[in-house]
Amino acid sequence: MIRSFLAIAYNGFREARRNRVTLVLAFFAGLLLLSSSLITDITVATFDRVLIDIGLGGMGIILVLLAVFLSTGLLAREIERRTIFMVVGKPVSRGLFLVARLAGNMLTLTILQVLMGALLLVEFRVLHTAITWPTLLAMGMLWLELLLLSSVGFLMSSFTGQMTSAFVTVSMFFVGHLSGDIYTFAQRSKNEALRALGKVVYYVLPNLERFNLRAQASYGLVVPAREWLASAVYGVAYSAVLIWLAVLAFRRRDFR
Amino acid sequence: MSHPPVELHALSKTYRLGFFLSRQVRALENLDMVIEAGQVYGLLGPNGAGKSTTIKIVMNLVQPTDGTALLFGRAPTDTAARRQVGFVPENPAPYEYLTGREFVELAAHLGGVPRAEVRTRTLEVLESVGMARAADLQIRRYSKGMIQRVALAQAVVHRPPLLILDEPTSGLDPVGRRMVRDFILEERKRGTTVLFCTHIIPDVEALCDRVAVLVNGRRVREGRVADLLTGATPQVEMVIEGLSERQLRELGRTLDEVQALEARLRVRCSDAEAQQLLGQVLRAGGRVSSLEPARFTLEDLFLEALSEARQGAVGGEIL
Repeated sequence: MIRSFLAIAYNGFREARRNRVTLVLAFFAGLLLLSSSLITDITVATFDRVLIDIGLGGMGIILVLLAVFLSTGLLAREIERRTIFMVVGKPVSRGLFLVARLAGNMLTLTILQVLMGALLLVEFRVLHTAITWPTLLAMGMLWLELLLLSSVGFLMSSFTGQMTSAFVTVSMFFVGHLSGDIYTFAQRSKNEALRALGKVVYYVLPNLERFNLRAQASYGLVVPAREWLASAVYGVAYSAVLIWLAVLAFRRRDFR
Repeated sequence: MSHPPVELHALSKTYRLGFFLSRQVRALENLDMVIEAGQVYGLLGPNGAGKSTTIKIVMNLVQPTDGTALLFGRAPTDTAARRQVGFVPENPAPYEYLTGREFVELAAHLGGVPRAEVRTRTLEVLESVGMARAADLQIRRYSKGMIQRVALAQAVVHRPPLLILDEPTSGLDPVGRRMVRDFILEERKRGTTVLFCTHIIPDVEALCDRVAVLVNGRRVREGRVADLLTGATPQVEMVIEGLSERQLRELGRTLDEVQALEARLRVRCSDAEAQQLLGQVLRAGGRVSSLEPARFTLEDLFLEALSEARQGAVGGEIL
C-alpha cells in the first residue's frame, strides 16, 4: 500500500515538474523576488520591512495560484483525458489514489516553496536584512494555507469540473482571508439573519488569516508558540476533514 | 474452492443524467454471466449495448444499480481481486508526460511486482509488444498503435490470470489489429482468461471460445461460438437466372433473402425449402447457375439477434 502511495505521489510530482506552467510560475517567482530588491531601492527608512513584505507576499501569491491551479485541475484532467481508467483499475483503493495525488501536489508545492524561500533568504543575506524566526514561521504557516486550499480544490474536483472547482477555491481564498471582517461587519447589523450568516461564515469556512504572519515577520514580532501551534493544528484538522469528504465523494463517483 | 474469474448475477445499471439527474438511461439489465478460467470470452454488441458498462462495473469504475459482479469470488472494490486483473480501457490514455518505460514501471509498482523485478519485467513486456526501441520516448510522441501496445504491456506486467480488454482493436490499422489478436492468442496459450468486448465480429470469430451478444443492455445470445454457429438452421444460397423477382415470389416458397442483381437473383433459403424451390424454378423456365451451402457466420447471428431484440433503436433504453 505504501509503495502504491509513493508511486502515485511521485508521479504527481513528476507531472508537475514536466508541466511548463509550473516552470513559468517558478521563473516568475524568481523575477518577482529579484524585483523586490529593485523596489527597495526607492525606500529609505523601511528597507527591511518592505523587502520582507514584498518577498513573502510575492511568494504567497504565486504559490496560492499554483495550489489552486494544481489542485482543481488535477482530478478533472485525469477524468477528462481518461487517464484515471488506467490507475483506478489497478489494485489501488480510490481513497489511496486521491490522498496520494494530493501528497504529490503538496510535494510539488513544498519543493517550490523551499526553493523560493531559499532564494529569498539568499537575497536577505546579500542585502544585509536579518533572517528572523518570525520570517521563517510566516513561510511555514503559508505552507499550511497551501495545504488547506489544495484540500478545498481536491474536495471540489472530486465531484465537479475544473471551472467550478477553481471558482470555489479562489472564492474560499478571499472569503477565508476576510472572514474576520465579515463577522465584524455582520455583528454590527440589526438584521438577525445577517448576524447569524456572519457567524456561519466565520465558524464554518476556513479562517485563512490565522496563517498570515507577514505583518509579524515584517515588524519582527514574535508569535507565541501556543498561538501558531493552535493555528497549525487547526489547519491540519480542517484539511483532514476536507480530504475525508473528498474521499467519500470520490468513492461513489462513476467514471463513464 | 476456486471461483470463476468473472461472475455476474442479475447485474443492472441505470445512469442518471442531466443537471438534476432526472433523466435515466438503462445501460444494463439483469445480466448473468460466468467466465471460467482459461476461456477467451467475447462481449459482442452494437454501440450503446452495455458492453463497456459491464466491463467498467467489473473494473470498479462504475457502481452497479443492482446485482452483483465478482472477480475470483470477490467484489471488484476489493483491491486483492483487482490485483489478479490486467485491464486495457477503450482508447487507452496513459500519462503522456511519461515515457513508455516509466508508465509500465508505474503499473508494475501499482500491480505489486517485487521491487527487484520491476525493471526486468518492464523491459520484458515492452519487448513482447515490440516497444523496446521506443521505450524511452515520451508517450505524447506515440502513435495510436504504439499507445495500444504500451497499454497491453502495462496490463500484463504483473502477470495477471485475467485480462480485460475494452475494444482492444478499435481504431487500429490492420497491422495493429493483427498484433492485438496475436497478443490475445499468446495470452490464451499461457492459460490467461481473457474477457474482451468489441463490435468487430471477425475478432470474436477468430479469438473467442464463448460469446455473449448484448443489445440494449440485455443479453440476447450466449454460448460457445461453434455451438451458436452450427445450431443455426442450415441454409443454401442459389443464383437464379431467367426469372424476375415477382415470378420467383409467385412460386410461394419461404425465402429468407432475395437480392436482385443484373439479370440474376441471389436467393437465400433453408436447406429444406431449396429442394422444392429448385424443381419449381426449372419448371417455370428459370435456370440455376449456382447452388452452394451458405455458411452461417457470427455476423449473421449478430444481425439476427439484433433485429429480434430491437427495431432500429440505438443506445441504452431511455426511461
